[in-house]
Parts: sequence; C-alpha cells; structure tokens
Amino acid sequence: MRDVSMGQYYPTKSVIHRMDARAKLVFVIAYIVLLFFIPTVDNFLNKGGRLGEYLVRASCAYAVVIVFLIVAILFSRVPILKVLKSVRAVIFLVIFTAVIMLLFYSGKATHVYWQYGILKISLEGIISAATMALRLFLLVMGPSILTHTTTPVELTDGLERLLKPLSYIKVPVHDIAIIMSIALRLIPTLIEETDKIKNAQKARCADFDSGNIFKRAKAMIPILVPLLISSFRRADDLAYAMDSRCYRGAKGRTRMKIMKFGLRDLFGLLLIVAVFFAVLMFAYNYFGVATVITEWAYTLL
Amino acid sequence: MSFIELNNVSFTYSPGTPNEIKAVKNLSLSIEEGDFVALVGHNGSGKSTVAKLINGLLIPQKGKITVDGMDTTDKDSLFDIRKNVGVVFQNPDNQMVATIIEDDVAFGPENLGLEPSEIRSRVDWALKSVDMYEYREGAPFRLSGGQKQRIAIAGVLAIKPRAMILDESTSMLDPIGKKEIMDIVLKLNREEKMTVIMITHFMDEAALADKIFVMDDGELIRSGGKEVLNDPLLESRGLAAPPACSIAKKLRSSGMPIGEVYTPDELVEEICRLL
Repeated sequence: MRDVSMGQYYPTKSVIHRMDARAKLVFVIAYIVLLFFIPTVDNFLNKGGRLGEYLVRASCAYAVVIVFLIVAILFSRVPILKVLKSVRAVIFLVIFTAVIMLLFYSGKATHVYWQYGILKISLEGIISAATMALRLFLLVMGPSILTHTTTPVELTDGLERLLKPLSYIKVPVHDIAIIMSIALRLIPTLIEETDKIKNAQKARCADFDSGNIFKRAKAMIPILVPLLISSFRRADDLAYAMDSRCYRGAKGRTRMKIMKFGLRDLFGLLLIVAVFFAVLMFAYNYFGVATVITEWAYTLL
Repeated sequence: MSFIELNNVSFTYSPGTPNEIKAVKNLSLSIEEGDFVALVGHNGSGKSTVAKLINGLLIPQKGKITVDGMDTTDKDSLFDIRKNVGVVFQNPDNQMVATIIEDDVAFGPENLGLEPSEIRSRVDWALKSVDMYEYREGAPFRLSGGQKQRIAIAGVLAIKPRAMILDESTSMLDPIGKKEIMDIVLKLNREEKMTVIMITHFMDEAALADKIFVMDDGELIRSGGKEVLNDPLLESRGLAAPPACSIAKKLRSSGMPIGEVYTPDELVEEICRLL
C-alpha cells in the first residue's frame, strides 16, 4: 500500500527539499500573486495598448516564469514528468475554461474569424484563451513543486508557524495545525479499517459491485456506519493517550525540530524577488524595457 | 505515604443514566516506588478504569487517589501527575499522534516545554531503550503491532515518568510481540528502577510481577506476592493459574518434589535441578 499520508512527496535530497517549509510557502504565495500581475489581453487592450505590444510583453513575462519554474524543478531533483503529471488533474478544467474564454471573449476584437450570435472566434479570443490556459498550468505546477519537496507534516508545521501571529487575535492556529496533523496520521489507519470492514461485510455476502449507482451507494452504508462508530472510539482513545502524555494545547509547548531560515532560503528569496522584478519590468514596461523589445521585434519582422 | 495510593475509590460510568456502570467499588491499594505490580482481572473487572483513575484521566466520584502526594482531583496538579505516571494503552494505532516515528515520540517532551536539544536527546534515548532507533525517520503504520507498541512505550519513556502503567498493552500482540514488550518492561523495572503497573488478563504475564492485585467486578478480591496466583478463589472466578504453576502442580501430585514456580524459566530450572 502506498503511504497516502505522504501525499505527493518525492523523497530525495535537494536544496529545495532542505529549504525551510515556511520560506517555501511564502515563495509559492509570491509566485501565485506574480502570475496574476501579468495583465490579460482584454485588460491591456482596454487601456489602449496594441495587440502586438501585448504579445511581446506577455511572452517575455511568461518566458521568465517558465524559466524560473524549470530551474526550480531542476534544483528540486524531482523528475520533470512527475511535476507535469500533477497538471493532469486539472486538464479538463483548463480545456473547459479555454473553450469558454475563446467563444465568449467580449473585449475589443479587431480580427473576428467567425461569429454566431454571442459566440465568436477572434484573434484576441484565441490569445486570451491561450494565456489563460498557460496561466492555469503554471498556477498548478508551482505549488506542485512545494508538495513534491515537502512532507505534509513539514507543511502543517510551517503553516502553524507562519500563521502564529494570528493567534494573538484569538485564531486557534495551534489547534488547527494539530487537527490537520492528526487527520493526516489517521488516513492510512482509516483506509486499513475500511478494507477490514469491507471484507467482513463481503464475507457475509454483501455485494458492493453490482447494480446502479444508487444501489451501490446504498451498499456502502454498512461500511460507513461501523467506520464512523470506530472513528469515534479511536478519537476517544487518542484523546486519552494525548492527555496522559501531558498535552494541554499550545500552552508551554516547545518543538523538537526548529525551523531555521538559512542561506538557501535567502538565496531563494533573492531569486524570487529578481523574477518578480523581471516579470513586472516586462509586463508594465518599467525603464521602457518592453518598448525597446517591441521595437526590436517590429524591425525584425 | 506510598508513591501511589488509592483510598476507598469508587467510579461509576455515566451515573444516573440507564447506561450506568459501576466500574470500581471501594478500591484501596498502594504501590511503592520501584515496584513491579500486576493488576489482573477479567474483561469488565474495572482494571482499565483503575489505570485511567491513577493518571487523572478519570476522576473518582468517591474516595481519593494520590500520586507522590498529589491528589488527582486537584486540576492544577494533573500535569505533574501525568509527568510522573505514563500510560501505554491497548491499541498502539490509537496512541500515535504524528506521521513520523521520532515526531510521535517527541510529542510528550514537547508538551513538557523542554529545550529542543533536550527533547532530541530524550527521543534518541527512548527509541534506543526500546530498540527502535534505526526506524526513527519512518512511518509508524508500516510496522508490526509489537514494534508500534514499542514506539508507544518510547513515547511514554521520553517524558521520563517515574511509573509506567501498561493497560493491556500486550493483548493485541502476537507471542513474539508480547515477549518483546515484556522484556523491555522488565529491563526498565530492573535497570531504570521504574515503577511498573501491568494491567492484564494473562496470568503468565502477571507471574513476572513482584506484587499482584486481583480484581473482579470492580472489587479487589486478593492481593499479595506471587502465591496469590495459586489461590483457589482465582480458579473459581475463572482466572486460571499460569501454565507453569499448573504443570508444577500436576508434577507434584504425581510425586515429583517440585518447589514453588510461577514462570516457565523457574519451572525449567526446578526440573533441571531434579534431573
């Protein structure tokens, strides 16, 4: 049985694996924010920009992000295919969104190829759909590097420490973190239990595999009820065990593993700041960089 | 005053409801520091309730329990009581808090608020004492029942309690797992001078203890040294003497001059002496 509680974690030793979980969380948030800083095509055109200019700016900005992502994957030593696989889960969503974007594009459109009522296909629509699809893929791949290089325990720990300031405004940060870590811990146990109950019911001629969907759903009840009851019993036992091991919430609690913001985290921070700056430079024409490249591109064509 | 003292303690689950169960009735017993005590009885005899009472997980409706002079009804001293008395429960799966073994063992000392370096050294020491050090970075759910229970013991040990209660901690294990746990517990008692309270319905495990308390239907029916195991009253309550005792008894009745034995090792020694 695969260790479900380890999630997508890919065990290997790399700089990114050893990074502080808090730092990685912050980087991923920064990365997501960054992606939304790249303007969409209708937004850009509405502000009076030209389509050619947009193409140059967006492709430069996205290129920087993609290069950064590839560098991060290479540093993490997680096989690139593994990271790409995480995109599989959202592929339907991406295609659906892209088709909708393509057909219902409502911004300024100069090149319309086909129109039927409110549906139309235009050059701007195609660009808008393509950038949206690209953005969604990038949006999934960034965090997937985080989950591939950080164990769920490190993640919950990092989250707890990151959210610690919230505990001053009475948010039960520690309780949320311990609930999450216990849930993770119980997943394999509950799966094992489900298998056991299922086999016990099968031994008494229960049929889970035939009939329509409603019949099958109904057949699950004899599994769910014992599972629920035993979960409550487990929770009781666990509460006793935790109490007897001197647990009293966050009060006076220290941790064995200290998280240290080290040199590699600083390096990561500098890198992400640089990428942020580069993307903004291209997307918003800081120092006229975008203009220079656009002019250069026009003369080239 | 003894290390652990129960004075006329009574405990009833859900009192005043149709589900009312009188689990412990007027129980008095005392345990000295460094003792190896067995508390035996059938399922439902109230012996597990006693474990929870001593640890302050349950509070008696009547009577008084003190651990090192501290009263379990005093909410402020519960933390110190639990620091002194640790409990290993029956099901190892239901005692694990973390997904990584060393994190789980660290849970107790973390709650004590120790320095990270001190926690680390306690965790390493506890895992080495139960011979599970090389598994420290693994996940508990891949381990055998005996190994999981050893992790649970390490989790209690890391708190460095003066007494450890094993609440039927071997009942879900196979014979090998049982022996592993018993060996560790004996070692802790002999070498670390830890007080051990072994709650069990296996008479052969009880035979390892120095002092034995027998419970039936919430009451203490017998207490004393190993000779209690041969008491005919136990037999009549369905608690058969350990196999070594009954073999010795049969040999004796067929004319062999076998002395008092309680464990297989003692029986072997006694037979060898005769040969």
